[in-house]
Amino acid sequence: MSGNEAMAEAAVLAGLDAYFGYPITPQNEVTAYMSQRMAEEGRVFIQCESELAAINMVFGASATGKRAMTSSSSPGISLMQEGISYMAGAQLPAVVVNVMRGGPGLGNIAPSQSDYFQATKGGGHGDYRNIALGPATLQELVDCMPLAFDLADQYRMTVMLLIDGLTGQMMEPVILEKKSGRKLPPKDWALTGAENRGQRIVRSLLLGNGALENLNYQLQKKYRHIEKNEVICEQYKVDDADIILVAYGIAARISRAAVDMARENGIKAGLIRPVTLWPFPSEVINKAAENFRIFLTFELSCGQMVEDVRLAVAAKSPVLFYGRPAGGIPTVEDVFEQIRQLTFKEKVEK
Amino acid sequence: MNKEIFDMGRIDIAWCPGCGNYAILKTLKQALAELEILPANLVVVSGIGQAAKAPHYFKTNVFNGLHGRALGPAVAIKAANPSLVVIAESGDGDMYGEGGNHFLHTIRRNPDITNIVHNNMVYGLTKGQASPTSPIGFKTPVQVNGVFLEPFNPLAVAIALDASFVARAFAGDIEQTKEIIKKAITHKGYALVDIFQPCVTYNKLNTNQWFKDNTYYLDDSHDPHNRIEAFKKAIETYKLPLGIFYVNEDKKTFEENVGELTKSNKPLFEYELDMKKLSDSIERFKSVSK
Ligand SMILES: Cc1ncc(C[n+]2csc(CCOP(=O)(O)OP(=O)(O)O)c2C)c(N)n1
Ligand code: SF4
Ligand SMILES: [Mg+2]
Repeated sequence: MSGNEAMAEAAVLAGLDAYFGYPITPQNEVTAYMSQRMAEEGRVFIQCESELAAINMVFGASATGKRAMTSSSSPGISLMQEGISYMAGAQLPAVVVNVMRGGPGLGNIAPSQSDYFQATKGGGHGDYRNIALGPATLQELVDCMPLAFDLADQYRMTVMLLIDGLTGQMMEPVILEKKSGRKLPPKDWALTGAENRGQRIVRSLLLGNGALENLNYQLQKKYRHIEKNEVICEQYKVDDADIILVAYGIAARISRAAVDMARENGIKAGLIRPVTLWPFPSEVINKAAENFRIFLTFELSCGQMVEDVRLAVAAKSPVLFYGRPAGGIPTVEDVFEQIRQLTFKEKVEK
Repeated sequence: MNKEIFDMGRIDIAWCPGCGNYAILKTLKQALAELEILPANLVVVSGIGQAAKAPHYFKTNVFNGLHGRALGPAVAIKAANPSLVVIAESGDGDMYGEGGNHFLHTIRRNPDITNIVHNNMVYGLTKGQASPTSPIGFKTPVQVNGVFLEPFNPLAVAIALDASFVARAFAGDIEQTKEIIKKAITHKGYALVDIFQPCVTYNKLNTNQWFKDNTYYLDDSHDPHNRIEAFKKAIETYKLPLGIFYVNEDKKTFEENVGELTKSNKPLFEYELDMKKLSDSIERFKSVSK
């Protein structure tokens, strides 16, 4: 099973009720897999006429209280931003998977991490956030799926899963299991038929005096709560490290191996690996920056997450960046070389 | 003029051997050459897909835009420079699916452009999902039990919107297709040419032979100025008619309607700055803001 298919199966097991998609490489396996599995399970599958249709169908299905998702790749996700913004305003849960490809524009289909800004800063218009998850292994990817649906339901918001084409095609053994640890609130907002109860309205249009301001404060309160409670991040050999890499997803896999290589060569390197890209593990990074260390952010982009790392480090330590855009994937040796040069420079400076 | 003027020389072509796109590309170049349209005066605009790659193999001005969005830029290019010949060329998924809304409204707008659609009834580039024109029962890795949606009928839709030129061709018949394309390009106003194109890799149902067996040409008894008859032909399914279904020469084009622009038929870039007009309007704004 490829990463794309494993993720799709994990979504089915997580209780996905309705999937909506539109073809785009490199995630067509998700749609193909869903078309069969959702039919087998007697659930909803629709190949839409466009990504705009897909996200609005997610919007509709979600409004009925059902678990809905879509998947696409960068250009398609850009098209969906208007709908995602409306869902943020209407406070509806949704899961959106972005199998990222190189941009801007049509770019290419090579692995990329250049949609970090879009996923973590809202992406569409308005003051809102999505929870963004950036799993690094297939096991973590399939574990993220039930988590994504639970987070979406708990906080009534979009959870965005970011992977790349390489992860989508990767084969790795995974254990698929239904995990739903969380106690979720009742969906007392869902459009389920108004018999024996009052009317419910799904909307993001708030014209009344102060209504929009109130909604925004309510959203911000929710976001602060999430920032406090939902950060997931792995720290690998950080305690005694002189150089700390910060990387997520596919870049974190490479970084981890580069850290091991550095250690074998007597360089004390470590890795901080955010799994939740928003909420970002700012506190963990800030704490790690207390003792002077060099931070090296590695991304398959021209530098996006590095801005959040800089904010988190808050000038307590230097933050450097290494990355390549649009399909250039540095090897473990390349990253190790970056680490080695840094230690060398540091020695010279001392 | 020889069609080679549009050829790129030795280049890698990303299409499968045997794909109907080769014939359409060649036929279009031939038609343009016979009309003596110079590469410098032509812009080929496309979206995304296998069909939309055609302009990559075309030595002329090329605009390769977003998936589903060839028509917007094509309209704007024509409006900005009406002296150019503008062809919007893409696939069925691109024009009728993702770009379906633009298709409707471009017909209403009636710009003097030619819209060529490589209709292989499948999403080729993304590896074989059903497209808006896939026939009922068509099986794919996504439509495992076969398509059950009513196929989109571009000709019927175009005629319903009183499009100014509506035709259908078949990639396998170079001579007739070339004549149809020539008429579409010389026609004043929006011209749709939907071209049946075999996709040898992902459409094993609508093959070259299938198109041969299931199409026929409209003959002289068909009056392309009769909209009702044209519509009747467009919804025929037993055998699919080819040829020019409908023509309405009486419609004003978008560029004509815009008026000011086309009075001189002068492209935007040739307009000179009128200093007096500019300073007058600045003065006007100043007095308003006081
Ligand atoms: C916004 C966006 N969504 C999806 C895609 C992926 N995509 C590329 S081409 C294509 C469809 C192509 O089908 P068609 O227009 O029929 O062209 P063909 O390849 O069959 O010639 C799709 C869905 C994309 N490039 N951009
Ligand atoms: S997939 Fe089909 S449409 Fe695309 S190049 Fe191959 S034969 Fe042509
Ligand atoms: Mg097609």
